[in-house]
Amino acid sequence: MKVSLFVTCLVDQLWTSIGVSSVEVLRRVGCEVEFDRRQTCCAQPAYNTGYLKEARQVARRFISIFEESNADAIVSPSGSCTAMVHHYEQLFAADPEWLPRARAVAAKTHELSSFLIRVLKVEDVGASWKGRLTWHDACHGLRDLNLKSEPRTLIRNVRGAEFVELEHADACCGFGGTFSVKYPEISVAILDQKIDAIERAGVDAVVSGDASCLMQIGGRLSRKGSNVQTMHLAELLSRR
Amino acid sequence: MNNEARQVILDSIRGHLAASLPSEPQAFANERPSEPSLPANVCGLFKENLESVAGHCFITTDVADVLRQIITDLRVQRIAISDAPQLAEFGVLPGADDIFNFDVGITTAQAAIAETGTLVLDSSCERNRLVSVVPPVHIAIVPASRICATLADVLAILQSAPELSPVITFITGPSRTADIELTLTIGVHGPKELYVIVDEST
Amino acid sequence: MNHLSSETFRENARAALADVHLRGALKNATSLFGERRKSAAASLPNWEELRNQARAIKDEVLSHLDKYLEEFVRAAESRGAKIHWARDAAEANAIICGLAAERKARVIVKSKSMTTEETHLNAALEAAGLQVVETDLGEYIIQLADEPPSHIIAPAIHKTRGQVAELFTSELGMPPTDDIAQLTSTARATLRDRFAAADVGISGVNFAIAETGTIVIVENEGNIRLTTSLPRLHIAVMGIEKVIPRFADLDVFLKLLPRSGTGQRLTTYQSFITGTKRHATDEGPDDVHILLLDNGRSRMLAHPVTRQSLACIRCGACLNACPVYQQVGGHAYGSVYPGPIGSVITPQLMGIEKASQLPYASSLCGACREVCPVKIDIPRLLLHLRGEISERKGSAAERLAFKLWARVMMSPALYKMSSLVGRVLQRVMPISRAWTSGRDLRPIESKSFHELWSDE
Repeated sequence: MKVSLFVTCLVDQLWTSIGVSSVEVLRRVGCEVEFDRRQTCCAQPAYNTGYLKEARQVARRFISIFEESNADAIVSPSGSCTAMVHHYEQLFAADPEWLPRARAVAAKTHELSSFLIRVLKVEDVGASWKGRLTWHDACHGLRDLNLKSEPRTLIRNVRGAEFVELEHADACCGFGGTFSVKYPEISVAILDQKIDAIERAGVDAVVSGDASCLMQIGGRLSRKGSNVQTMHLAELLSRR
Repeated sequence: MNNEARQVILDSIRGHLAASLPSEPQAFANERPSEPSLPANVCGLFKENLESVAGHCFITTDVADVLRQIITDLRVQRIAISDAPQLAEFGVLPGADDIFNFDVGITTAQAAIAETGTLVLDSSCERNRLVSVVPPVHIAIVPASRICATLADVLAILQSAPELSPVITFITGPSRTADIELTLTIGVHGPKELYVIVDEST
Repeated sequence: MNHLSSETFRENARAALADVHLRGALKNATSLFGERRKSAAASLPNWEELRNQARAIKDEVLSHLDKYLEEFVRAAESRGAKIHWARDAAEANAIICGLAAERKARVIVKSKSMTTEETHLNAALEAAGLQVVETDLGEYIIQLADEPPSHIIAPAIHKTRGQVAELFTSELGMPPTDDIAQLTSTARATLRDRFAAADVGISGVNFAIAETGTIVIVENEGNIRLTTSLPRLHIAVMGIEKVIPRFADLDVFLKLLPRSGTGQRLTTYQSFITGTKRHATDEGPDDVHILLLDNGRSRMLAHPVTRQSLACIRCGACLNACPVYQQVGGHAYGSVYPGPIGSVITPQLMGIEKASQLPYASSLCGACREVCPVKIDIPRLLLHLRGEISERKGSAAERLAFKLWARVMMSPALYKMSSLVGRVLQRVMPISRAWTSGRDLRPIESKSFHELWSDE
């Protein structure tokens, strides 16, 4: 199985180990991973802030690059970016040329845990990590891609990891893209509910499928002097 | 009435609809969604559901006896009744100006809904509109044979009349509010107590 | 009344976040309502089917709204109801004031109607020298306090029992007490006098049935029954989107609305009113008037994305599910319609210029869409409105920023350069400062993934 990695601009710039871990995990389960260096962004920031013209420009570029790939799948370590690609059909709803191309690329684009469980049917990637951890359901992955059981199945198979379900695991962390900086006080107020739940869970680490949520959560945990680590699912799964 | 506004609004609706794409098509079925099946014992289910919302329910073949007992236990003086003939001995028909002066109102109910513990009052059949809401206690008598399983059943029955009654009221328990600190308080503007006597003799 | 403005949402929110009492009240209310809704929905195995059916019915009506409205009007008029059409709030208020003045009304009782709050009816009635009293307990409380509602279902949820007690003591001369049952009795006793004396009763409408001309109004307290049966004149006010096609459709909506709003199987009372009474000696008003309000609704029909805003059945479930509403409450939105639904209909009803912050006051989490009984895709609507706002009212700086952003994302060379620039400037960028007020900032990596891959 050949996979084209869609690493996302956030991971590329701010959290490369997520990208590195994703590649490792994919290779470990037998995939050949290619990385198209022309890629930049899926256009989510512009789309979410209402700049549709700019969003379409960048989206068209994404589509053009990835439709050239002969990989069997395009895989991303981000629920929100994967969901964005799936939303391209709304961006191009009135564009008879780009709509089918957008749909074709979206059909091949998968979030990492979804790809492992639903496509490869792999539930155990041979990972080990010792400690107590919990999972935060990132909103787009949960509600747009219906990812709920998939990450939990993968985590449960990590040897040595004690999994604890987080209270209100599906509550938003307050990031919301530009919302986090347009309304920072509200963003942090929402975040603190999540932090309280994490503290009550008494865990060593909180895991999630989106770097944006992890930055939000991790940024507050470290500001509060907490020892709780933040880890992306790919990072967890890459541990031996 | 005010035809200019009417025309402007209808034109605005038509104009905006014409200018738009249709909604994504959804199945607009004439089928009702599948209903889970209900147990045969509608009286029992009605009682259970009414009691779960703080209503009192008595199932009996001797309505008059139960009614007398309730009234005695309530220790009330001023009893208002609807114009249902079976109630004549129990109280008085209120006049236009004294409906607020009664402690208890007694009416019948034209139907009931088992799945929710709801009474159905049709004010074209009986003068029950004010008697069932103004006095702080409402006692209602409903024939067991008129208890339907579901709300959908009752809607169908109501609509089967030659003309829909001008006022139909569904009553599910005593009045309530949680507007202050979300704390449930029973008895606001409508009755504080609801007694339903299910008449198994008919 | 001291309405906060939608245009100062940011400041309003900040004030709300500092209000410890409010945040406690919101937390209790939203989590309780949320849990109850969840259990009530779970108790119906065909919940998803019901939502789909409700949405399909609404889409059908909205796609042919003129036809269904005309059908409703014909049916209601054939049963003796008088119909009025109001293009906007001013016209609605004028019609109602006119009807009341014609009656020489001295006492007007009102039951809860968001639509009349939207038009600021009470202020108009008072300006016309007419006394009007709200009879829904929560609405009565905020009327005494001269405040707008903070929640669609529980308008006084922001008030503690102590605050209500103080209010009743100062406005009604009630002896001081903290007992909620006592507070409720006080309100009941005071309002009974008004009911007994009322010449006119004004209500809202939950559903208007085209097939039969029936209006359906739901409640728990009994004040709607009293408002619509004691006075000689009943005026029912409804937005034009309240129509549903058939009497039998009520089954679907009466299953969804109470469960979504309060977690109840059914609210205590539903009143089904079809025209006027048959005989002069029957109980009830002599006259029933129904006012159909547009006030910007017909405009929303123009696009399928915005059209779905009109499917709303005003259950309030989205408020309870919304992480933003949970933190700041209803007043911050500066609108009678707060929360997720408020963020999308307020700019559409009032005009984007009057509420341009609201569509951005969301993390787009989608919890609202999940709980909406008629499946309104609020996040999609928010994005649609953000698109409109950025085109018409966007800040020049932001527009420029995104133009530059697009340039960078279109060019691998510029993209590479931007990370070099970012590494240097990260800490001083305004965006970073907004972030770091509450959170530590993750530094831009010294090598991007692109570079690591090239190294491999």
